[in-house]
Amino acid sequence: MKISYKHLSQRILSSPDIDELSERLFHLGHEHEINDQIFDLEITPNRGDCLSVDGLLRDLGLFYDYQENNKIFEKKIDPFEFEFINNVPNQCKKISFLKIVIDEIPDSYKDFMKSYYDDMPNKKNNFFTDVSNYISYETGQPTHCYDSNKLGNYLLLDNVCDGGNFATLLDKDINLIGDDLVFKNKENNIVNLAGVVGGQNTACNIDTKSVIVECAHFNPESIIGKSIKYDISSDAAHKFERNTDSERHEYILRRFLKIIEDHSTIKEAKILNMSFEDTNPIKIPFDCNKLNKILGTNISDKECKNYLTRLGFEIDSNNIEVPSYRNDIKSINDISEEIARSIGYDNINPKTLLVAKERMKDTNNENRLKQLLIDNGFFEVINNPFTHELNENSIKVDNSLDSNKRFLRTSLKNSLTNNLLYNERRQHDSIKLFEISNIYTNALEEEKRLIGIIASGRVDKNYRDFSKKISNNYVKEILESAKINFKKDFIEIPRTSIDSKLKNHISYIEFEIKPELEINYDAQIKDSYEFKKYVPISEFPSSSRDLSFAVKNPSDLIILEDFLLNLDYESLKNIYIFDYYINHKNQEIKIGFRFTFQSSIETIKDTEINNLMDNIVNQCLKIESVSIPGLEE
Amino acid sequence: MSKLQDINPPKLTKGLGSYHPITQTLDHITNILLDYGFNIIDGPEIETEEFNFDMLNIRKSHPARQMHDTFYVNDKSNVLRTHTSPVQIRGMLSQQLPLAMISSGKVYRKDDDATHLPMFHQIEGMYINEGVSFANLKDLIYKIIYSLFGEDIKVRFRPSYFPFTEPSAEVDILSEDGVWLEILGCGIVNPIVLDNCKINSNKYSGLAFGLGIERIAMLKYQVKDIRDFYKSNLDFLSHFK
Repeated sequence: MKISYKHLSQRILSSPDIDELSERLFHLGHEHEINDQIFDLEITPNRGDCLSVDGLLRDLGLFYDYQENNKIFEKKIDPFEFEFINNVPNQCKKISFLKIVIDEIPDSYKDFMKSYYDDMPNKKNNFFTDVSNYISYETGQPTHCYDSNKLGNYLLLDNVCDGGNFATLLDKDINLIGDDLVFKNKENNIVNLAGVVGGQNTACNIDTKSVIVECAHFNPESIIGKSIKYDISSDAAHKFERNTDSERHEYILRRFLKIIEDHSTIKEAKILNMSFEDTNPIKIPFDCNKLNKILGTNISDKECKNYLTRLGFEIDSNNIEVPSYRNDIKSINDISEEIARSIGYDNINPKTLLVAKERMKDTNNENRLKQLLIDNGFFEVINNPFTHELNENSIKVDNSLDSNKRFLRTSLKNSLTNNLLYNERRQHDSIKLFEISNIYTNALEEEKRLIGIIASGRVDKNYRDFSKKISNNYVKEILESAKINFKKDFIEIPRTSIDSKLKNHISYIEFEIKPELEINYDAQIKDSYEFKKYVPISEFPSSSRDLSFAVKNPSDLIILEDFLLNLDYESLKNIYIFDYYINHKNQEIKIGFRFTFQSSIETIKDTEINNLMDNIVNQCLKIESVSIPGLEE
Repeated sequence: MSKLQDINPPKLTKGLGSYHPITQTLDHITNILLDYGFNIIDGPEIETEEFNFDMLNIRKSHPARQMHDTFYVNDKSNVLRTHTSPVQIRGMLSQQLPLAMISSGKVYRKDDDATHLPMFHQIEGMYINEGVSFANLKDLIYKIIYSLFGEDIKVRFRPSYFPFTEPSAEVDILSEDGVWLEILGCGIVNPIVLDNCKINSNKYSGLAFGLGIERIAMLKYQVKDIRDFYKSNLDFLSHFK
């Protein structure tokens, strides 16, 4: 919600500067940004009373003396003989109608209205709608203006089901589906989607001189969700959803009339106030001890009463009377929040809390299983559960985000297969992943905690395992090393079924982690992490080069290794020994290194890699007994 | 030349995998809270509306209950839990007082954009005993934040609104860039919630707090895009060894 600094400060007697006012608003819990002297506020949903200049001033009254009300139409207003039928009094407990006929339409606005339309990002429509929008900004109460010549002298409020097509005054037709609260005219046509948007058929225009202004209190539950349901941006709905002040209609309409009077000659003004429910102010016993107990503070009765009085509460010796605009206050805890806001949350001193229980011993099998896999080069992944796959056990998501993913997965296999393919496309030749997740089926009581393990490609990136390919046995041996009795077979994932042209075998197994699952693995499980700063990964392709050396003197091998494994080039992403053996016949050591290069800003060029490799080769050949078989001089 | 058979072969480097960064962050916070004496409780991800909303004083009319915010399943018979708070309801209904419990895990909301995902992770804590106050809550929150971000970090509490706590607060920390960043929500457990769980709210009071794990992980690791966590990209995951 946007409120101009100027419109607030001009009613505060001390005229605070914008920074001070900003600080006060934060103190009160009204988070905001400031753009061009306008506060863009995020008012919490319980504080519908703050969605206006008047409302914010009431809250700021904690700190400042301010001009409470603007001028209103003081003269007697004749009763309005208007036929209104309320079929749903539980959804609209109070409503008022004001009929106004004016002599002529003004061609310019007084300063306060002009300032509103000049300073705020709102467009003018027609005179009466402009006044209505201004009133909503100033007071927080939405009003709706019907062209009285189009509406006639009758209005019905009712709930309709599947109301059909409705042409709104926003030049947008909507199809009313399900239950809606609507106003209808004598001909039983819908003229207003209550609390959201009026109809084209009774809308005011630039020639309208005779209106009926409706000022209502709707039950928020009747309005909530309607503007989203029909994709209509409605300031009125935003306010009605957060509740309005049912006891201020007379003031609102007299203020409305005063603004009309400021701009034109009123030929006729009549009012009808209707109430369908008696409302009594909420009273909460005043108990300063209880308030201090909730907050952990030690403030006096006097201080407490002072805060509440400044916020508009009335207090006698025993009771706090809640003002009618504070629909959010119902209990002593609500009052305690008012006191805490007044003191300032940051000004309440912490008090030591001792939970005083011993730390629970970790008996979590799941952590040991995870650590076993991680120690063998597996990476944990997390996937969301939404899938296109349907089987007899699937749970259907009624309102999925993606119509192609309308079910919850009943297996982790497809998620992990997609993860594997994704990484294969990114040139990874050794992929080992696992995921642990709850799985739900239609038998909701049968919640299962599953682990899925998928692996393909090289066993590892070292000279012992470089040429070995991952097989089911490889995974099985890891699990059996911890004596895990998983009682499940590996699942075949043929490459043809996943549109993959690679030939590496895909090893996949999935089993349930039951509390009784035994895992005999002495894991060193971390209980804190370093949180190393993440350096964004490159999206450009990498490129690899291999170099094989022959080394005659073992001490030179150490020099070679030390040099290569400590290379520090920006584009050198990875280096490891992929081959090592002793050729006894030739009395030499053969060792192969794989270098992977990648740039963070572009696709790395062959010339750049070749230059680096030439440099590396030259450096290595300076080591006495090191040669590169097959290298031309 | 020494004998070739006597030399030590190069060190055999074994590639290690890693926990997912979200798991690492979650475990880190969990361990902090376990050290304070909290116990872990678990609950289902598919919940009833009663546990996910009603018992937590989230009224039928609350916007969070609309189809555009909450995932409903099996013809609206259940919801994907929108927070881990229903686990605490289960804890309050089943455990003896005083109680100190944490619940964590996946939660779901109908969002999908650059800063929101339909699935994310939360950890929530609750402590109920006689005489628990807002000042106690502040003490605990300071301890948690100092454990996570160090004792030099600047912290502020702001009034906020959650149906299940009253008073409610949101807590910000001041970043190195001088920007206040929201870290967690907390408050004094609304007596209505205690009453719903058959806990005598005249005798007992409680505190509750909740953190979004992705948000903490993004801050701690300085990951800029939340979606990176869920691409299962080995280049990304390798960073968190």
